[in-house]
Amino acid sequence: MAVNAFVEEAQRAGASALRATGMRKRFGGVEVLHGVHLELRPGEVHALLGENGAGKSTIINMLSGRLSPDAGHVELHDERVEFKNPLSARNAGISMIAQELEVVPTLSIVENIFLGAEPSKFGLIRWGDARRKVTAILKELGVDAEPSCIVGAMSVADQQLVEIAKAIVGDFRVLIMDEPTSALNLEDTERLFKIVRRLKAAGVAILYVSHRLWEVFDLADRVTVLRDGNVVASSSISETDINTVIRAMLGNKSSLIGDAGRPRRKAVDIRNKTPTLKLEAIDSGSLLRDISLTVHDGEVVGLAGVLGSGRTELCEAIYGLRPIDKGTLSLKGAPTDLSEPKASLANGVFLLPEDRKSEGIFGHLDVRENVILGYNPATDPTEVKVAPTVANRSSWRLGGAAPIAVPAERRAFDTMRKALGIKCSGPLSNILQLSGGNQQKALFARGALSHPSVMVLSEPTRGVDVGAKEEIYSAIDSFASRGVAIIVGSSEIGELLRLASRIYVLRAGRIVAEVETASTTEEEILKLMAG
Amino acid sequence: MLKRVLSSESSASIIALIGVVVIFTLINDRFLTRLNIEGIIVSASISAIAGLGMTLIIAMRALDLSVGSIMGFSAISGAILLSYGVPLPLVIVAGLIVGGALGFLNSQLINLLRLPSFVATLATLSMILGGELLITEGATVTIRNGMSSRLVIGKLFGIFPWAAVIAAIVFACVWTIFHWTPFGRHVAAIGGDTRAAVGAGVNVKAVTVGVFSLAGVLAALAGLMVAGMLQNADSTVGVGAELTAIAVVVVGGTSLMGGRGNLVGTVCAAFLLASVKAGLNIANVSSKYEGLVFGGILIIALMADGLRRGTRRKGMLVV
Repeated sequence: MAVNAFVEEAQRAGASALRATGMRKRFGGVEVLHGVHLELRPGEVHALLGENGAGKSTIINMLSGRLSPDAGHVELHDERVEFKNPLSARNAGISMIAQELEVVPTLSIVENIFLGAEPSKFGLIRWGDARRKVTAILKELGVDAEPSCIVGAMSVADQQLVEIAKAIVGDFRVLIMDEPTSALNLEDTERLFKIVRRLKAAGVAILYVSHRLWEVFDLADRVTVLRDGNVVASSSISETDINTVIRAMLGNKSSLIGDAGRPRRKAVDIRNKTPTLKLEAIDSGSLLRDISLTVHDGEVVGLAGVLGSGRTELCEAIYGLRPIDKGTLSLKGAPTDLSEPKASLANGVFLLPEDRKSEGIFGHLDVRENVILGYNPATDPTEVKVAPTVANRSSWRLGGAAPIAVPAERRAFDTMRKALGIKCSGPLSNILQLSGGNQQKALFARGALSHPSVMVLSEPTRGVDVGAKEEIYSAIDSFASRGVAIIVGSSEIGELLRLASRIYVLRAGRIVAEVETASTTEEEILKLMAG
Repeated sequence: MLKRVLSSESSASIIALIGVVVIFTLINDRFLTRLNIEGIIVSASISAIAGLGMTLIIAMRALDLSVGSIMGFSAISGAILLSYGVPLPLVIVAGLIVGGALGFLNSQLINLLRLPSFVATLATLSMILGGELLITEGATVTIRNGMSSRLVIGKLFGIFPWAAVIAAIVFACVWTIFHWTPFGRHVAAIGGDTRAAVGAGVNVKAVTVGVFSLAGVLAALAGLMVAGMLQNADSTVGVGAELTAIAVVVVGGTSLMGGRGNLVGTVCAAFLLASVKAGLNIANVSSKYEGLVFGGILIIALMADGLRRGTRRKGMLVV
């Protein structure tokens, strides 16, 4: 990334690197962007905030050549440009780190990083050159892998780092980063921030999109807030604060601000009560060792730990997705074998998986089907019993050929939709069209319909906007108050402090501490997590 | 080094090949005669050539069902041109161009009409076959050209079977294209994750044209070789060859999910299947059972592929 003399001069002049004016976009008959203005300056980190559905993805897709605007124009260094495809934007010097990882899992790291920009001589790729460049950048990002490593075999965090490497190799004047730290741990995030600061110093204009507001306030110089397709606030970071920004993002839902981090419920009295779920000296796989924990009816227990601490693996082991090699798992005092998800569900244990895209939702089904999957009205204690006829036998047991849902299933979906506030244009809308938050709520609904006694939630608000987050927290609260035992695994400590009465801290596959939320602080937990 | 060889995706084919050779030789030692082995080499080389083109197509997560028809069409075209006295080198070039053009047609149906490759090539399979019947009117075109026969079943320097030499050259070219050119890497990228490839600036339409045209050229080459070998051509040439080509790719270890291509495996599988066919012949097994045997091999190969790609959840095969 050589310092570009042109950029240096432009920076001195206070000029703009990228200016978007009057951007409009319509999908179907609905206009989602109503004339948005955005300006990026060289050497500046400009944060773009907004709830899911506010238009952030739309505008950055237009800036990176993945979408074309219906109205408005883009100027790169004061020259009008039009991008027909992602490659032309990249060639013009606009690099993007996409939120949905754009790595090809079957190719190696070096093949991925140079995809579309392979260094070649006489038509043949210069692999030696490419490998050298890749080794250097992997070292800087802290990825411990060979350039020939197949990306699909790497962890999600490493894949995201490869995605980042792809964006910062080569020359560019503008860098768009869309949720670049969603899968990264603290160490990786710090390393990335170092790189961002270096790019800043080199005069690159950076557009930073993230739901993690503290990251934004740590890194950004300016901030723009989008709401419902309009710019509602734009200022330098020093002129504003987190509460103001949240208020701008949420508009009339401002009753949800402040208070983040204070537990809303009193701790449940668990003395002398049989734990609903008890793990004793559990060993699992190559990571988890000697795990012991308990959860009681109506309790919310948190699992804190960085990526790789075993948090995810523990949730999966409880649910039966990973084997338990040693130790006992008991439900209500009785040792139970939950060696596969089927057994877990049958015993009333439900898991909300961390990666909803690949492990949770069925992308080709609509919302209603995603929610009622596995729901059997006959075993639902809250369903009014009606004599079974052909008409109301479960459509799934008939082989799934019936296009119209049985009334019981429709009722169940409607109840869940209202209870959780799932925003969709109807039960038949494709689940992928929903925002991340609503997809998560749909998965929640699916779990709720199985009337679990234990809910294991792994990163329940990952990629979910502030408004939906609060709604999911309320849903968790209400489940707890109805007597469900809940385990929440999360990398956001604030979230755990808000939800849980007790928190287990995991490090390197072991539980290193158990703390009461009422008597601990974010710093203390951070220290325990980092060791 | 040994560990890498044993765990590679093509090792299964090689091991199976050794096993097959041993078994059939034990059944009837005529298996190891020069005549039989040369026959296997020629047959394997021809199906390997078509298979190599198909490997790239499958790596792109597409399918070309018209390979057999292109083989037949180019065989017939070549035979007819030879019968008009056109010199052999020109005939070969013309035949390859015809194959490339038919492959180009496939790519246009896919790009312009936005048809899935399965559908598009299913259509051209029939269309091209129809074209063959129109041209030949059901008759067989005979070839009287010694050179064309020697270039397939003869030997270079009296030692190396020409068919194998041609296959080796094709293999070297396709390997270089697939692993050493941006085009080849784009083919794998599109198959691995099309959205990611588009985001990186890969020109999917252009790559589609290239891959299907190349497959067409290779299918044409295979067809010309069949015509040279048999010294005649009719509309039965290449019938069913696309299924053999797909089988050879899959048994060779390339996943139908795309994103990767095992060229070495394809060649090994071509030899494996050719050996099995010859072996069954020599063991006097009725050709009626051939289909069952090949189907069985295909199933085993697909199962092995599934196991190899692995699954994080026990008992669940993630397709």
